[in-house]
Amino acid sequence: MPSPSPKASPGVLTWGTIPSNVPSLLRDLPVIFGALGLFYALLSMTHYWLTPVNAGTEISLSASALPKYAMFSVLRIAAAYVCSLAFTLVYGYIAAYNARAEKFMLPLLDTLQSIPVLSFLPGVMVAMVALFPTRQLGVELGSILLIFTGQVWNMTFSFYSSLKSIPREMREVTEIYRWSWWQRFTQMEFPYAVIGLVWNSMMSVAGGWFFLMACEMFTLGNRDLRLPGLGSYLQTAANAGNMRAICWGLGVMIGIIILIDQIVWRPVIAWAEKFKFEQVESADAPTSPVLNLLRSSRFLPFVARFTIRPARESMGLYFAKKRAAASPYHEPNKILQWITRLALAVLLAGIIYACGKMVLLLVHLTREELRGIFLGAGATLLRVMFTLFLAGLWTIPVGIIVGLKPKLSAIAQPIAQVAASVPATALFPIILLVLIRAGGGLGIGSIVLLLLGTQWYILFNVIAGAIAIPTDLKEVCSVFRFGRTERWRELFLPGIFPFLITGFVTASGGAWNASIIAEYFHFRGHTYFTTGLGAVISAATDSGNFRVLLAATILMAAMVVTINRLLWRRLYNLASSRFKLEN
Amino acid sequence: MEQLHALGAGAASDFLMSVPYEEQRILFHEMPIDVAASLIVHLPYYHAYVLLHSRPRPEMREIIDAMSPGERNHFLDALPEEAWQCLMDELVQAGEGAPYCAVPGESGEVTTEFAPPAVAIEPIIEARQISKSFQQPDGRQIEVIAPLDFSIEPDSIIALLGPSGSGKSTLLRILSGLGAPSAGEVLWHGNPMRQSKPNVAIVFQSFALFPWLTVLDNVEAPLLARGLSHFDRHRRALKALGAVGLHGFESAFPKELSGGMKQRVGFARALAVEPEILFMDEPFSALDVLTAENLRGELLELWLAKKVPTRSIFIVTHNIEEAVLLADRIIVLGRNPARIRADFRVPLQHPRDRKSGAFVLYVDYIYKVMTQPELELAPPSKIGHKERAPTQMLPHSRPGGMAGLLELLQDRGGEEDLYHVAEELLLEVDDLLPILDSATLLGFATAQEGDIKITPEGRAYAEADIPTRKKLFREAVLARASLLQQMHTALEKKSDHTMPVEFFRDLLDERFPQAEVEQQIETALNWGRYAELFTYDPETDTLRLHQHESHETSEEGAALH
Repeated sequence: MPSPSPKASPGVLTWGTIPSNVPSLLRDLPVIFGALGLFYALLSMTHYWLTPVNAGTEISLSASALPKYAMFSVLRIAAAYVCSLAFTLVYGYIAAYNARAEKFMLPLLDTLQSIPVLSFLPGVMVAMVALFPTRQLGVELGSILLIFTGQVWNMTFSFYSSLKSIPREMREVTEIYRWSWWQRFTQMEFPYAVIGLVWNSMMSVAGGWFFLMACEMFTLGNRDLRLPGLGSYLQTAANAGNMRAICWGLGVMIGIIILIDQIVWRPVIAWAEKFKFEQVESADAPTSPVLNLLRSSRFLPFVARFTIRPARESMGLYFAKKRAAASPYHEPNKILQWITRLALAVLLAGIIYACGKMVLLLVHLTREELRGIFLGAGATLLRVMFTLFLAGLWTIPVGIIVGLKPKLSAIAQPIAQVAASVPATALFPIILLVLIRAGGGLGIGSIVLLLLGTQWYILFNVIAGAIAIPTDLKEVCSVFRFGRTERWRELFLPGIFPFLITGFVTASGGAWNASIIAEYFHFRGHTYFTTGLGAVISAATDSGNFRVLLAATILMAAMVVTINRLLWRRLYNLASSRFKLEN
Repeated sequence: MEQLHALGAGAASDFLMSVPYEEQRILFHEMPIDVAASLIVHLPYYHAYVLLHSRPRPEMREIIDAMSPGERNHFLDALPEEAWQCLMDELVQAGEGAPYCAVPGESGEVTTEFAPPAVAIEPIIEARQISKSFQQPDGRQIEVIAPLDFSIEPDSIIALLGPSGSGKSTLLRILSGLGAPSAGEVLWHGNPMRQSKPNVAIVFQSFALFPWLTVLDNVEAPLLARGLSHFDRHRRALKALGAVGLHGFESAFPKELSGGMKQRVGFARALAVEPEILFMDEPFSALDVLTAENLRGELLELWLAKKVPTRSIFIVTHNIEEAVLLADRIIVLGRNPARIRADFRVPLQHPRDRKSGAFVLYVDYIYKVMTQPELELAPPSKIGHKERAPTQMLPHSRPGGMAGLLELLQDRGGEEDLYHVAEELLLEVDDLLPILDSATLLGFATAQEGDIKITPEGRAYAEADIPTRKKLFREAVLARASLLQQMHTALEKKSDHTMPVEFFRDLLDERFPQAEVEQQIETALNWGRYAELFTYDPETDTLRLHQHESHETSEEGAALH
């Protein structure tokens, strides 16, 4: 009998410390079953995609249908995420390395980021349904693309800025030894960008859940399209006012989010730890039992030895030889140059044509519609500002108090994280129900929803800021017997300022985007709405009024970009120059 | 002869000079070493030089060794550069077996190689008339490297010394093929660098290791780029790691290693590709003194034992002793724009003793070169009529550093060798030079021939209390620092006594590169605030004249009413 591993303490068998004398097959079972499950899910999804379009898919409200719906939604978000990742890598790469392209790719990204998800809906859907008119695949792809538009931009930004901030000497290493682009990508650029990408991926996927209801069920002109999924389930339940179904759906959604967090994000974060760009090892690195399980598996290295490793080796050598064979003297490829120029010219012509069309469309706006749009813009601006104010009002004191007490923050942080991971949209039917019973309308409801969706960013940042206040400064306050007001005014508030601004920037962006859902809601067969730009956009999407949709979207993008430039960026600069605590 | 001895050195030298040269020679030839040493320093340097050569070389060396350190420095510093270099070569050759230069047997080959200058050998890298300029945002060109010729010959360690900001690293990057010169060309074995694939490696100050790769993977990465198979990569990487003493650390990640160990990985990575030239960009600057010393020694050992698979080493450093310790040839750069101020061989035997006379002489000589007054002017501006624009550069130092230097000088009786000062203050030449420059600029000290001497003003400053120091500083600044004069006059002339800093920035923009402008402004603000010339408001980025006497303000108030 093999002796037990000396490392494992006797009698304790947790996920993290499975001793090595358990038969290796047993340890590999979860991994193998996981792979099989994934395979089955893909198979059934493809089967469903190829069924003919069914405009009026009935969404069953029975709880037994939930596992299937949940699986569809998860796969949809996963597919959208894969697309986002691919887009991010290509777009970020070009923007970072092509100085000429960078000049227009960055502002474009900035603008696209400020366009709300729903504004993409009609264009995306029409195109996709036209591509596959008879199969469910078209609608499905449309939905995935829609989720994609909500996820991709911040990831791209993160990747781009990571590429731009790679230390010069590291780049010089790759240059002096003439690395191939493949080696540069796999050994320098991607590892350097991984941590930023992981955190932004988490935010993006959370955004996917937030907009899931809008992305799975929508009307397009006179067509009522719905896809089987958790989002459409919740939406249908809300329409029917079926509280039981809402609770079931909500419960499953929260369960899945927590599950994904445990089996995907935690391991990925723990794994990404090794890409941290630090010179000294940090004391408390994040850990994940699932990652430990994967690492202790014998099955995976076995597979890797015959697949990934030889592939990596031959890829590396292939590109190295290609680079070595290439002349060091860069002869620009004439044909490629011409193709690029031609493509650019076509693109430019297309943009000019589109702009012309857009102007023609906008000219037809009636005075009434314009008034509605501008009134809505004003209302939403006030609403967003008020929401941020409210959020700041409670999160700043609470965040500082929690952050200053290590014991409290150890308890509060995980709770807040779970609370923040629940998409506010899913809670909305319940909140609305309570508000309607209490006699309030969507005017207050929308603010509550915005608050639910955005306050967490501020709270997290304030807690992080309060934790980062140096102890010696706190001691100075005690030594000189600063009063409570003095302490807050002189130390705590200035100390958290940079963090607070970061929180506000994220929250503000989120609030604008969330307004399209918060201001316009189908509930119990009734459409609740309030004055606001988000409501205008949602209503225009529902009724297929393209010119209002376009005008409102342009206005919203313009406002978001302007506010970012004029307000947040300045505050951010002030924060990083004057209020930065250096220790 | 006894009479001569009895006369005393001064009178004896006078007597010596009064007799015909032939007799001088005979007399000198007969003299005991110590007498000759005490006498020769009283002769004009050229005469002493000739007389010295009338004796055999080992005795020449003994005479020079017998001089007191101060006299020796004085004599050697006075020699013209060619004479100095020649004498150095002779002394080194004569020095084998000399008491303070205990040399193991292997050093013979090192010394003999250097007698003739290495002109005939074909250089590996040759730079012809290379210069580098950067474009300012407003379109003007600022030259950072003046056109210079340069070559790296095989079988030598070449050290490039220069004050910070002198373009050392830029030059290294051009020579290694990482960057292109703005004009001129760099040749690799006679072919243009851009069209060849130079086999070079660089060791970086910041190590530039990839934290996500293990030590082994870090060393293997450049080999993968060379298209080596898994097996060959492994073998060569292990060999390189073994050479730098990192056996057993193959699977460690860089963040688990200390700074010295990380730089060993850096060396292993560079050596694994077996470069023809190994470039090093201040490789020991990020390490603590002991680790640096240790690593330097090991590198030298590898090089001397020919265990380094490289033909030449090119090291950029700002540490003078490091250069003298390692290099066969030293190049000293001047700045604004960079140009070669000195280029000489160091034919001392390895391992070199820091305490030996010849070693100290080289160090002293480099200090002399680096502190020699040079016209540190930016290239003349094309617009000729702006006479008010400052041409003088403020050295980037703090008033506190200068006070420390002056106090030290005061303690040492007012005069000291620069390298002693550097040792005493634990400053590298990079940090010491700006302090020295500001002391000389303000007239508190004078630097000459590698020595520094305090002036009466400097003495007064060193002895004063804080308010008096500020007053002396203010007077000196207003008398000698043109940028601060300008600021002060402008503030006085303005009716509200305030000026935006941007105004002075624009003024400097014409003369200096962007980064230098910022540094000039920063130093000016630092000095001006210390001297209580003005106050600075960072919120509005404006200067306001400091009101020294309270009655000034009240007068002003009265005038307003």
